[in-house]
Amino acid sequence: MTDPTTLTDPTTLTDPTTLTDPTTLWHPVATMLDLPHRHIFHGQLLGREVAIWRADDEFINVWENRCLHRGVRLSIGTNDGTELTCRYHGWRYSNRSAGCTYIPAHPADAPARTICNRTFAAVEKYGLVWSGEDPIGKPPIVAALDDGTPFTLRNLPVNAPSQVVLDQLRQHRFQPVASLDANTARMTATEVNDYAIALTSTALTSTETDTTESSTAVFFVQPVDSDRSIIRAVLTEVPAQVEQLGVLRHHATALGKLVIAAETAAAQLPPPEPMVATINQVSLALSVMPEPMLDRQAPLRVQVARKWITAQDIVGFELVSVGDPLPTFQPGAHLDVHLPNGLVRQYSLTNGPGDTSSYRIGVKLEADSTGGSQCLHNTVREGDVLAISEPRNNFPLRRDSLRTVLVAGGIGVTPMLAMAQALKPMGLAFELHYFAQADEHLAFEEIRSELGDAVTTHVGLSPDETGAELARLLDGYGHANQVYICGPGPMLETARTIATAAGWPDQAVHFEYFKNTTEIDNSSSFEIALARSAVNLHVPPGKSILQILRDSGIAMPSSCEQGACGTCVVPVIEGKIDHQDVHLKQSERDAGDQIMTCVSRAAGDRLVLDI
Amino acid sequence: MIKLYDYELSANCYKQRLMMSLLDVPYESVPIDFFPGLEHKTDEFKKINPLGHIPVINDDGYVLWDAHAILVYLAAKYDPSGHWYPIRDPALLGETASWLLFAEGTTNTASAARLYVNLSYDFDIEACRAGAHRLFRMLDEHLWFREREGLNWVCSASHPTIADIAIFPDVVLSEEGGVSRLDYPALRRWTDRVKALPGFSIMPGIFPMGTS
Repeated sequence: MTDPTTLTDPTTLTDPTTLTDPTTLWHPVATMLDLPHRHIFHGQLLGREVAIWRADDEFINVWENRCLHRGVRLSIGTNDGTELTCRYHGWRYSNRSAGCTYIPAHPADAPARTICNRTFAAVEKYGLVWSGEDPIGKPPIVAALDDGTPFTLRNLPVNAPSQVVLDQLRQHRFQPVASLDANTARMTATEVNDYAIALTSTALTSTETDTTESSTAVFFVQPVDSDRSIIRAVLTEVPAQVEQLGVLRHHATALGKLVIAAETAAAQLPPPEPMVATINQVSLALSVMPEPMLDRQAPLRVQVARKWITAQDIVGFELVSVGDPLPTFQPGAHLDVHLPNGLVRQYSLTNGPGDTSSYRIGVKLEADSTGGSQCLHNTVREGDVLAISEPRNNFPLRRDSLRTVLVAGGIGVTPMLAMAQALKPMGLAFELHYFAQADEHLAFEEIRSELGDAVTTHVGLSPDETGAELARLLDGYGHANQVYICGPGPMLETARTIATAAGWPDQAVHFEYFKNTTEIDNSSSFEIALARSAVNLHVPPGKSILQILRDSGIAMPSSCEQGACGTCVVPVIEGKIDHQDVHLKQSERDAGDQIMTCVSRAAGDRLVLDI
Repeated sequence: MIKLYDYELSANCYKQRLMMSLLDVPYESVPIDFFPGLEHKTDEFKKINPLGHIPVINDDGYVLWDAHAILVYLAAKYDPSGHWYPIRDPALLGETASWLLFAEGTTNTASAARLYVNLSYDFDIEACRAGAHRLFRMLDEHLWFREREGLNWVCSASHPTIADIAIFPDVVLSEEGGVSRLDYPALRRWTDRVKALPGFSIMPGIFPMGTS
């Protein structure tokens, strides 16, 4: 055993300037035992605090331990298996991407994409979780552990610099598994790297050829701060079940003595400067102003990992990134999918919260397809690469309701599935009513079965019967109730009318149209004045405001370009609006302070726009 | 009904509130102006407890003080399962008593550091913090080995005992006294398990588990 009186001679310590820059290395930051179901582990590496949590999909998140709102430690928050919620004001962050998905104080809005926590790489190896500030390559390979069956010993925190701990480890003694009670083993040390050492203990009774009575352990030293470390030791072989507890205790006792020796030694040395973790700015990709969007942008490249028939005429697509991890989305979000035939179509994500391993959409083959759904059904195959936009959310879900009614007609079920999966882990009351023509049209059985009793299917109802059913479902508005509707136009109109009649206020009725079936009247001509740009433009018959703005070099985002999605909205300062979109609610139309520039026009001669 | 002479921010009073909540025993809280009024040091209060400290209970005329003594009484009287204070299992009872004494240590170190920071008590803060770390280090190792044995609690039983309740608040409030639990992951997991007990109750600084 290490003699606790053995003090470290500072001159024998490795000169810190010769060490590899620790920020470029992988370090162990936790053991797998530290990450039980729904726990948030509180860790530290190189002076930086981290919150480490395992989601229900087994993804291990290593995050800066700091809420982007008020800086409270995320490790005292809650892990609901898909999202981590800050204890202070309930900001929710997505598994994997660490993007903020919900801000309770702004329940009707989608959070800004810049609200994304700093994440660190995480790899599981040898029963340990490895991470690093900016690690290069892969975690260290230790042949003895690769060839063996790693068995994690108890980790020990030490109030001593890592190099003092390693110095003590070079003199460390333990016994092989077969002779724990003796104290005569021969020790051999092998340096692994600047932060790890392998020690083999061989009983004196064994011969060169018979090494049955020998045990090897690899000791990884995690540099917590300049003056603190954690010893994470792994045996190369799993002891027999009956011996395990004894082995663990043997090592805990031996290392306990080493800890005292290391701390005594460290106390003799001048205290090192504490490490200061740098706080980075949000990534450039998130922080820069979006590039001028003269056309619809498709910055992401995804591969069709799976294409499957989920119902009659409905095909599911699973899209995985071919580049960086996929960005955060919120329930209700949609993607622009750029098709090989040049068309651009919008599809809602069906993903549950915190799941950005892939994006999953459902595509219905439209009988009157103008080439969009046909192309996806008939041309696009597994393995193909598509260009898509980032997820955009014009249909945000409130997560503070006492009751949420989700009404889906046909393929309108897709955003509702995402919403239902977000509400469920939060324990918020919701019901999903899924209207379809026939049983064989019901899609995404695998998601619906997970949602259980919350889903009711209404199959084969006539329009009148549908209306009667909707009237029954929406009978009785209560405080903090919300209804979300997505489906074919006529059903949506019916549902909105019924909700209004049943006393649902406009603000509680949320809807998303597949498309705008209104015949667009673009025969008018009028002037637009751009108040901020001090520019006057003429919009002639046959051209939209959006086209005129772009023709004049003004960057404008857009998505569906038919008045359904709400992306090309512009604030209006003055002038009467001829609304031709299906995105705005009646109250929003009446307010007269915003316009969908792709289809809507001036009702008079002139509009003053706030751009 | 049991009367609890109580102070909201006191870890020792919270031990009683938590125990009665876990046992589903109704009680009446009698607030004592512990800080800044020092009501527990008044002649009036010393008629209730001549030692001049809280918590104190009055159960239908039976008056008892000292946090850990009250836990013994409450569990012995109001827990029909006999789990919380295992009177019928001498070995486990001895273990429970031993860890209750350990809890005196955490109270006198970790919770004392909290009184120093929050209520300006005149303690040797460095000694309090060093003592708390010494005990937490032992407890973390103890609980880590318990987990390896498939056991979740301080004593070697499949259920918690009053020892868990006596130690829990001192541990979970320690950051207020400047005693970090970063080095004690097994201790943090154990606090999660306590919070998951049916009937668990909270106090300022002690958060509930989970979302719903």
